[in-house]
Amino acid sequence: MINKTVLVCDDDQGILEMLVLVLESYGYQAIAESNSPNMFDTIEKVHPGLVIIDLWMPEMTGDEVVKQLRKKPETHDLPVIVISASMDGKQMADKAGATHFISKPFDIFNLIDKVEEYYA
Amino acid sequence: MDIDNSSGFNFSGESYELDFNLLKLAIDASVAGIIITDYRQPDHPIIYSNKAFEKISGYKRNEIIGRNCRFLQGDDREQQARYILKEAIKNGETATVELRNYRKNGDLFWNELYLSPVKDANGNVTHFMGVQNDITKRKNAEQQLQKERDEMERRVIERTRSLKENEEYLASILQTVRESLLVLAHDLRVLSVNRHFLRTFKVSEAETIGIKLYDLGNGQWNIPQLKELLETILPSNNPVLDFEVSYEFPHIGKKIMLLNAHQIELDGEYKQHILLSFEDITERKEANQRKDDFISIASHELRSPLTTVKGYIQLLERLLPKDNDKVTHAIAKTNDYLNRMNELITNLLDTSKIQNGKIELHKEVFDFDQMVKEAAENVQGSYSSHRIKITGSTKMDYAGDQHRLEQVVVNLLTNAIKYSPEASEIAVYLSRVSGFIKVAVTDYGLGIGREDQKKVFERFFRANSIQKKFPGMGIGLYVCDQIIKNHKGTLWVDSEAEKGATFSFTLPI
Repeated sequence: MINKTVLVCDDDQGILEMLVLVLESYGYQAIAESNSPNMFDTIEKVHPGLVIIDLWMPEMTGDEVVKQLRKKPETHDLPVIVISASMDGKQMADKAGATHFISKPFDIFNLIDKVEEYYA
Repeated sequence: MDIDNSSGFNFSGESYELDFNLLKLAIDASVAGIIITDYRQPDHPIIYSNKAFEKISGYKRNEIIGRNCRFLQGDDREQQARYILKEAIKNGETATVELRNYRKNGDLFWNELYLSPVKDANGNVTHFMGVQNDITKRKNAEQQLQKERDEMERRVIERTRSLKENEEYLASILQTVRESLLVLAHDLRVLSVNRHFLRTFKVSEAETIGIKLYDLGNGQWNIPQLKELLETILPSNNPVLDFEVSYEFPHIGKKIMLLNAHQIELDGEYKQHILLSFEDITERKEANQRKDDFISIASHELRSPLTTVKGYIQLLERLLPKDNDKVTHAIAKTNDYLNRMNELITNLLDTSKIQNGKIELHKEVFDFDQMVKEAAENVQGSYSSHRIKITGSTKMDYAGDQHRLEQVVVNLLTNAIKYSPEASEIAVYLSRVSGFIKVAVTDYGLGIGREDQKKVFERFFRANSIQKKFPGMGIGLYVCDQIIKNHKGTLWVDSEAEKGATFSFTLPI
């Protein structure tokens, strides 16, 4: 059975809610996490098939989260899409080992295309 | 001169008469003028003159005999030498003087006169012998020399005064400028310092002059960057301009300074002195940093709600029925303007970065034609009014900043669409031209007048005619130009008003 759970992490509540709605409208089970350091616990709890995470967040940046995930065997291969409005976002995401990078503001159709690639 | 015949003075070996004639001939053969005056007669008349005296004075013998010597002085009586003569005559002593005398024709000649008394057996002066040499040439040479010496001295005084003035002038400049200045000797000891330096770095002149730069203020000037500048860079790159040094001073805190260093290469006293000027740019840097941070944060923060709005609009687009033209149109327009807004934010951030020389290129090898194709698709997706047609190809894997170059193509395409509202096509032509790849974007719209063509790449420039119809900030092309320049390429426009425009850029392969 395909794991259609997508975990979304962004400190911006507006983007977080919007993404959840968009993903749900495409039939995904979207879970929102606004606090980046909680990501590791939440991932253990909900076992997402894919993670979408913002880059610049207080307490822990998105690329730092990705780096930590890549160190653990159980999340080493977990697909992670990094989203950011930052110019150097792509470099930071690539360096941390993210699967893909999408710049903000994004086209949701592009985002869904990417998400569907991982479930194809 | 005593003549004593009894001593048997006879040199001809014959008669005294022969001796006398020979002596007379000898005296006439002399180039020195010789006269004898009679001291016993009133006014001491000349009783004898030789040929040379006639020649020097220009007078004949019959005009000379019987006169006092002073007749040669004419009206030029007030001569220092006269008093010496008078004194010698009075005391019956010898004297040598230089007199200004005048020939019969009135010409001045300098007469070096040697005067000696002739005394009788009782020691009383009976005559004076005068031997005269015309020293006019020597005197003139001496006078010329003196004149030249005087002139030289005058010039030296003048020059010294002018040097002193210059020195004061320079010193006043040194003290007045609002920049710190140091003059160092070749061994890096401080020779002079201006007030601005003392004030900025809170030191006194006594603590500074004669001290080696690195030892100033307990060694707080022992700055590695400064050492590198003075010891490594300057000797082979004189002068060094705008060298940035950033240093945390123990008492006055962090300073960012721009340094100019100039090693003086003149021969002479100032040889190998080093001029150092410091511009304190700490505050300017901090202000710039604050501005950068602000723009960076602001544009980041602006993008968050923009992302949310765009997401909801696209969600609406997906959820609403497709058969309502008005809804479709409204959503498409909203999308267009959201894209526009995002462009403005991007440009604002880029301008701030470019202005500070901070545009960073992340170079990687990519398929150039594919990049242009994707940029065109991207723009085509947002604008349905025009068809973007790509012809030609570069067939290049180009090493550059893909994201930035895509930004340029997108910008040129959106401009082309924006400024040709009546047209329906945009032509993109890709080619390779002797070592360059070339992209040309042509629209069939308003065109750009010749005057404006030079200015379109300037920051915040907006063509007047355009500003009314298409409001904007006028930074898009400036950013494009800077990106292309950073790739060592060229961006330009060919256009005629009302006939459309072609924006092209080339990049070296």
